Amino acid sequence: MKIKEIMKKEVVSVKPEDNVMDALRFLFKMRISGLPVINAQGKLVGVFTEKDVLSHILPSYIEKVGRFIYEDNPKSTKKKFMELDKVKVSQLMRRDVITTNEDTGLCEVARIMLTQKARRLPVVDKSGKVVGIVAREDVVKAYAKEAEWKID
Amino acid sequence: MENRLILKFVFLPLLIILTGFIAQRIGLNIHQIIALSIFSASVFATLLFWDFRVAIAFLGIAILLITKTVDLENMVKFASLEVILFLVGMMVLVGLLKEGGFFAWLVTLILRIRNLTAKKFVFIISILSALLSCCVDEVTSIIFMAAAILEICNYFEVDPTPFIIISILSTNIGSTGTVLGNPIGILIASKSGLTFEDFILKAFPIMWVCLLSAIFLVIIWYRKEIKKLGENIKNFGANEILIKLIRVPPERQLKIGLSIFALTLLFIALHHRLELLWGLETNTLLLSIPLISAGGVMLWRHSQARSYIEKDVDWWTLIFFLLLFAKAGTLKYTGVTEVLARKITYLVKGNPITLISSLLWTSAIGSSILDNVVLVAAFIPIVQSFKDLGFVVQPLWWALLFGGCFGGNITLVGSTANIVALGILEKEKNIRMTFFRWFWVGLTVGVVTTGVAWLALIWLPFYR
Repeated sequence: MKIKEIMKKEVVSVKPEDNVMDALRFLFKMRISGLPVINAQGKLVGVFTEKDVLSHILPSYIEKVGRFIYEDNPKSTKKKFMELDKVKVSQLMRRDVITTNEDTGLCEVARIMLTQKARRLPVVDKSGKVVGIVAREDVVKAYAKEAEWKID
Repeated sequence: MENRLILKFVFLPLLIILTGFIAQRIGLNIHQIIALSIFSASVFATLLFWDFRVAIAFLGIAILLITKTVDLENMVKFASLEVILFLVGMMVLVGLLKEGGFFAWLVTLILRIRNLTAKKFVFIISILSALLSCCVDEVTSIIFMAAAILEICNYFEVDPTPFIIISILSTNIGSTGTVLGNPIGILIASKSGLTFEDFILKAFPIMWVCLLSAIFLVIIWYRKEIKKLGENIKNFGANEILIKLIRVPPERQLKIGLSIFALTLLFIALHHRLELLWGLETNTLLLSIPLISAGGVMLWRHSQARSYIEKDVDWWTLIFFLLLFAKAGTLKYTGVTEVLARKITYLVKGNPITLISSLLWTSAIGSSILDNVVLVAAFIPIVQSFKDLGFVVQPLWWALLFGGCFGGNITLVGSTANIVALGILEKEKNIRMTFFRWFWVGLTVGVVTTGVAWLALIWLPFYR
């Protein structure tokens, strides 16, 4: 089974110049944790997720200091959150995005998701233009379909 | 960016060829020329291609082997596995301490200071930075100090930059205090036969004099900023919210971690006596105690053992050191350092005082630009060659240590601690340090502290 058979063709995305507050509102509205970032030429330039927001508002040393338990929120997190409307998506998004193409097999996509810990993979054509997106859910459902397992 | 990289890649071979040419002019043979050029390539790589330095080091070693400049056996010997393993052992221990919350506990100690005043704060961060970098390494130490300073400055709404600078300066000064403070400490100890006790007797007191001079200088230098912090502390009515900010970690794990660490320090401090008692070769215990502790830690927390080795040990840096040491050893093996030592002796007219002074100031200026491990690795075989020429080398070892550490304060890229802490400052507060904002205070402190070490090395017969 090829990815083009299971991918979603309507890709919701944000633009690199969008402000983070708006992008975050969009994530909440869509009830998802991340979105591809696509520029005016339709090319994929990054992925924006809730994790990027967390890593921006928490102190950057938090990952290096081992067990360092905040009993209370430091002043800085609130302040940084309030300033998110001045921050652009392009400043927080992750730029090294793992992608796939339409002709990749289901199993290969599943393997990439497992080994790269990716929740969703943008599907791009040869010119780097986004033609679809495939989520972990789509992959599991495809396997279910293959096993002729009925999902209620 | 791409163009700059290409330009640098053209520049590197040119520099190497130029080194080779100069080497030939001063009468070195072909193996000596290769050894010197390959070593210089590593030095230039740390200056121009920080991200490629390990790749360049791999290629360099391969060239040394293929051209028969060094044989396999000696290459392995020069790689100084004992120093690398010592650092691995200490990194595992630091990993345990991090996980046990030791550093969070230290940070809470600063946050909970009673009747905090601005000057008290400056004294405490300076002394704690210095002592912490004496006991663990300077890079680990500065991350935690930077974290504590940022939390406090955030709370009192003052610019953290001066206080971060003060902490970095103290960290670099403190890293001379013991063999544990800086990789160059253990490297010098291992190659010179100096013991932990020697460091405590001869480096630790100088570290204190330098630290106090530096505190005196920064209090004058940053008097306005310190005054502002003092006013804000008064207005905010002490640090009550800060006291509750970070939870003190669970006691049992912290206590066990601390006990292991304290025992390690105790045995390291006593290593020379025990070696004499048990008839062991000098520094055998110094180098194996971290291995015993790390081994014990990995037995105790066996489910975490792999994570300590894989995540807490900075293999990227250690592999670079290993190859660098092998290349520096090759300089001595081929006789390059002997030639250089003779030339230097001629230049200083055989005067030991001129030699000590030039080595101290050269390593201070050198380490303000270069990674101090690279610099010290290059100088060690030269100092060893001075021994063969009949000089008393002990003061030269101290000159290398003090120059290599204090010089790191002169520029903002002088030591890893500077780069790490300024990186945190930029990420957290969006404050980008400019070269000159750092330079004037760094130069003042760097010159004064190197000056103190200089006077001590020249005037006190104790260091001969």
